[in-house]
Amino acid sequence: MNDYIRICDVEKYYGNAAHVTKAVDRVSFQVQKGEFVGVMGPSGSGKTTLLNMLATIDRVTAGHIYYENTDITELSEDALSEFRKDNLGFVFQEYNLLDTLTIEENIILALALQEKPKKEILEACDGILKLLQIKDIRDKFPYQVSGGQKQRCACGRAMVNHPRLLLADEPTGALDSRSAQTLLETFTDLNRTMEATILMVTHDAFSASYCSRILFLKDGKIFHELVRGEKSRKVFLQEILDVLSLTGGVLTDGK
Amino acid sequence: MENKNALRDMELVTGGPGTAGPGNIYRKLSFRNMKRSMKDYLVYMLTMILVTALMYTFNSLIFQNELENYFEVEDMMGMMIGLATFFIILIVAWLINYMVRFMLEKRSTEFGIYLLLGMKKRTIAGLYRRENLLLGVVSFLIGTGVGVLLQQVLMTVMFTMVRMEYHLHIFLNTGTVCMTAVCYAGCYFLALMRCKRKFRKMNIHALMDTKRRNEEIREKHERIKRILLPVSVLFILMFWKVFGRLSSTGETAVFLVALVITIYLFYLGLSAWIICYVRRGGKAVYRKQNLFLLRQFASKMRTMQFTMGTLTALFTLALMGTSVALMFSEYENSLLDEKFPFDVQIYSSDVEEDFAKEKEVIEEAANVSAYYSYHIYTDEKNGVNTWILTHLEAWGTMFRNEDGTPNEREIERVLRDESGDGTYYMYDTYMGLTDYNHLRGMLRYPAVSLGEGEYLVQVKSRLEEEVRKIGEGLEIKDAGGEDYLSCAGVCADPFSQDGHNGADYLVIVPDGVLGRMRPYYSELVVELEGEAPVGLQKKLEALLPEEDLNIIGHAAGDLCTGSDLIISTVEICMVRGNLIPQVKYMLAALIIPLFYIGLVFVCVAVTVLSVQQVSDAAKYRYRYDVLAKLGLCRNAIDRLILKQLAAYYLCPALLAALISGKMILFASDRFIMMTGVPVPVGGFFVRSVLLFFGVYFVYFVVTYVEFKRNVRNHIA
Repeated sequence: MNDYIRICDVEKYYGNAAHVTKAVDRVSFQVQKGEFVGVMGPSGSGKTTLLNMLATIDRVTAGHIYYENTDITELSEDALSEFRKDNLGFVFQEYNLLDTLTIEENIILALALQEKPKKEILEACDGILKLLQIKDIRDKFPYQVSGGQKQRCACGRAMVNHPRLLLADEPTGALDSRSAQTLLETFTDLNRTMEATILMVTHDAFSASYCSRILFLKDGKIFHELVRGEKSRKVFLQEILDVLSLTGGVLTDGK
Repeated sequence: MENKNALRDMELVTGGPGTAGPGNIYRKLSFRNMKRSMKDYLVYMLTMILVTALMYTFNSLIFQNELENYFEVEDMMGMMIGLATFFIILIVAWLINYMVRFMLEKRSTEFGIYLLLGMKKRTIAGLYRRENLLLGVVSFLIGTGVGVLLQQVLMTVMFTMVRMEYHLHIFLNTGTVCMTAVCYAGCYFLALMRCKRKFRKMNIHALMDTKRRNEEIREKHERIKRILLPVSVLFILMFWKVFGRLSSTGETAVFLVALVITIYLFYLGLSAWIICYVRRGGKAVYRKQNLFLLRQFASKMRTMQFTMGTLTALFTLALMGTSVALMFSEYENSLLDEKFPFDVQIYSSDVEEDFAKEKEVIEEAANVSAYYSYHIYTDEKNGVNTWILTHLEAWGTMFRNEDGTPNEREIERVLRDESGDGTYYMYDTYMGLTDYNHLRGMLRYPAVSLGEGEYLVQVKSRLEEEVRKIGEGLEIKDAGGEDYLSCAGVCADPFSQDGHNGADYLVIVPDGVLGRMRPYYSELVVELEGEAPVGLQKKLEALLPEEDLNIIGHAAGDLCTGSDLIISTVEICMVRGNLIPQVKYMLAALIIPLFYIGLVFVCVAVTVLSVQQVSDAAKYRYRYDVLAKLGLCRNAIDRLILKQLAAYYLCPALLAALISGKMILFASDRFIMMTGVPVPVGGFFVRSVLLFFGVYFVYFVVTYVEFKRNVRNHIA
């Protein structure tokens, strides 16, 4: 299995000479094609910073990030935008759907920006709406649908261009448990049927249990790694909870 | 951001360290919020400063007009400025009211938090009112300072216009300050009147929920609504076709009301049309960012429909006001010198008049280099008058029967009109060739020659083309009274034809022909050495009998003005050096208030557009963040913002230009025809559009820069 994405000694510092905060401190790991990787850690551990650097919306202080043979730390602003358009998909806690566009139009826009022909856009959009079971709400505006439906639309928008990597930052954070479960099953389906590579940042052990591998971050460093392998989700969830209990129980500061 | 501010303010309200008593806290809070509003609504603040400065400057024409001592028409300037101020107070009050409601909506969450903290509605309303008043006071103080300087600029321009020297002396006039303060306070009073009621109606949930409700887009019956777009366009096209032909006031009023309704419905139709196009999946929808742009635009047009309609109406009025001001300004610059070719010219209906008293007065006041007195003659017929009344464009078909023949009854009625506002003399007016050439010599024109059987028609320059064929329709007999003279041509050099040397025209005949005519009235022209002294006109008018003076104290007597229906400069005694500045000053009383209204209307309307957009940039910056994440580079986002703003700015401006265009072109056509200003019909429209877009462009650039800054800060 070749390394699809390589993160090599990545560092990210904030502040000035007098007071430096190391948000990410010499982090290295690899992601294989088709992997569903989770990143867990308490607030301030640097997981969102790490995701932002992978997402090209923040720059590294030191180190390299390779997408196959492309080192994104060396790319210019414009080249990064192009790279983002062709290779990445995003799902965030706050959905980030455009409120003036319908559910379907939110997905169409992502395809239109790729300058694809109309026929191809409509076919791809239809396919993803069907896959994510949101076809019947295609003409609704975001404010007219539930949080879970919004998030599935965000997934559709992120996945419709078949990105190399789907980045998800606390995607279940604003959802009720049922919607969260549906979304995570969607992620798993996307991972299996479309061979989507997913990197998900989460606080929640239940969400993390859907991943195939979990990286635990603390104070900007990776301190543990769990691989699901052939284990059932239930067993894997227990393993995650064990790690969390060893490191202080809960992934929030001061608790 | 507002929540954060409110939470920061919480410390103040709940009595953080260093605070003493609720009064002090609220004062601090008002002051802090005012500072924040100044930053957030910079464009509004700048407009309020500009409006104050303009108010001060133009009000100064009532209280510290240093020209009023020189002219007798100062009341007119005050009256016109007062009238303009009335409309300006209304429109500025609308702007303040709009902004107060707008800021209230934007800060609804913050006010909700104040309520949660236990502040009373009355206290919050008071706090908000105080903030707005503070903002007003700061704008007023800065604006007055700018106004004092601007007033000096206006004075210098006006003095230069009337050919006098002005010495700068900067000072604050109490009357002007008081009037500006009263006008300004009036605007705030009108604007804040309804603010308290708005607060009384609100509850915590409504306040906290306001923002969310803003984002809800309701789409219902779009297919039906979209019909409004072609209907509006059709109505505007119809308006273009029939506007000039509307004959009665009733018809015009109905049409104008329908036009106003059309303006408002246009935006509803436009937004529905775009929504239907997007839903239908038109080709352009799938091209790059078009979907985003179309949806943004449609949603903005829908939520701002009423405001956009009002802005279009304001732009239309501003364009029309500016065009009319430009028309009079052009008249003043290009025609006034031509209107008074002689240094002094005096009319007398008495054919025996020797002008002895007048000559005495003139000699006392100035150095005379030449006198010339002469008669205008008549053959006591009105063949030339009839031709003029039935052929000039200015009269249209007023004096013609349906079959095109002259309407004798109407012609007789207008020529016999003894009401004093005569158009043409009762009989045709003639001048002998010797007199004509003498006067041409005084004006440094070359002499003309006529054969014994010929005549020449001298007309106002604007009528030259229209009377080209006059010779074909006139029958003027020769000295013997048996043969007819033939027309040798038309001459259109400026020749004082607003009643003195005929009204519109004079027929120049060989001296011998005058033998069978009678003198009609007498004229004296004087050539002076150097400029005429100030006040000579008044001295000469003092010699006239009272019955010759009109209601505003000018001596028009029974002079006839011809077809100058818009501006006529008829005076029995005309002293060029005195009259030109006076007429310019009178015209300024019309031009300045019109520019004043036009400028304020544009600034107010464009401020609303700008504030809306800049505030949206802050509120909806995540939209651009999403686009960046979807792979749009910075330059592409900048271009997108530019397109979005351009569409938003151009839409009301173009609609206003389209509507006002017809009215301005119609008015220009009439104005040019009746005054003869050397400007093509579309000239005034183009100039006012350029002026308008100049102001517009400044606001557009400021908005674009602010918008981009707001979005960029977020995308980082």
